[in-house]
Amino acid sequence: MKRIIFPIILGGFLIISGCMPRLTTLYYWDDYSHVLYNFKKNPTPEASEKYKESLLKIINESKKYDRQVPPGIYAEYGYLLIKKGNKEDGLKYLDLEVKTYPESAKFVAHLKEMLNR
Amino acid sequence: MTRERLIPIFLFTIILLSSCSKPLKKIEAFPDMYKEKPLSILILPPINETTAADAKEYFSTTILEPFAESGYYIFPIEIVFDVMKNEGVYDIEAFDSLPLEKFKQYFDADAVLFTRIKKWDTSYYVVGGNVKVKIEYKLVSTKDSKVLWSYVKEIKVDTNVNSTRSVLVNLALTALKTATTDYVPIAKRINFMAISTIPFGKYHPRHDKDQNDVIKKD
Repeated sequence: MKRIIFPIILGGFLIISGCMPRLTTLYYWDDYSHVLYNFKKNPTPEASEKYKESLLKIINESKKYDRQVPPGIYAEYGYLLIKKGNKEDGLKYLDLEVKTYPESAKFVAHLKEMLNR
Repeated sequence: MTRERLIPIFLFTIILLSSCSKPLKKIEAFPDMYKEKPLSILILPPINETTAADAKEYFSTTILEPFAESGYYIFPIEIVFDVMKNEGVYDIEAFDSLPLEKFKQYFDADAVLFTRIKKWDTSYYVVGGNVKVKIEYKLVSTKDSKVLWSYVKEIKVDTNVNSTRSVLVNLALTALKTATTDYVPIAKRINFMAISTIPFGKYHPRHDKDQNDVIKKD
């Protein structure tokens, strides 16, 4: 029995350690810069949608990697939602930016003012 | 002293003198950075000094990530640039003349990052070609207008193709390689070299612990 258990334990360790996502960077970025570049190069509705999806992926995946959402990403996603007509959810993400990075408070307040005009 | 002993000393001195960029400690290179400890950085739209009209937009997509990775709060570039476009200041090529306190008042930014695209071009000559990108960075305090950190770098990528085929084929291949060499990965390399010299910001685990890190400042 012992001879069987040992490989199982070892295998279990390997699986666990293999599944744990590891990052050497401060934040998880998905393919942010590249997706944004494609959007600038060719601003089609599809490229815009990809950019939006990528921002949401960064927000969701950051937790898995045990990382803070990178500076500006909550705000960028919220701003994009507002521009696409979803003001209610967009404002929530702007607030999340301030909650995560209090130094953005003044800027976000100005931005909200501007969006209400 | 014998001649045999002098030669190594002489050689060593030459090597010391010939290394073009002097290694420096971060604190020696950028002492004001450690005094002011800026937390938030406002990256301004790049100032494009080249004739490549798209350089500004493309280069912009590469700057947020490396500077955020250095531990600073970076204001969301895409929103900031949009706001500036609305206010009609996006294409002002002389931000230096703008009062920096405004950025403190409006954004609450501790420092402002100016970037200048000095080169973003392709050259062809009879026997070859190359792609050049040159970027200049300047981080300025919004409190006292001091330059806290700066960096400038040019990277030239040779696109010569020297195959065993005819001269004409080589020329055509060189032209093709030059035309398809992308500026963006080169710009990213320059960003990477630039941030290797900047003191780490508050969100980096090595914040305020890197004073003695040795950097190359050219």
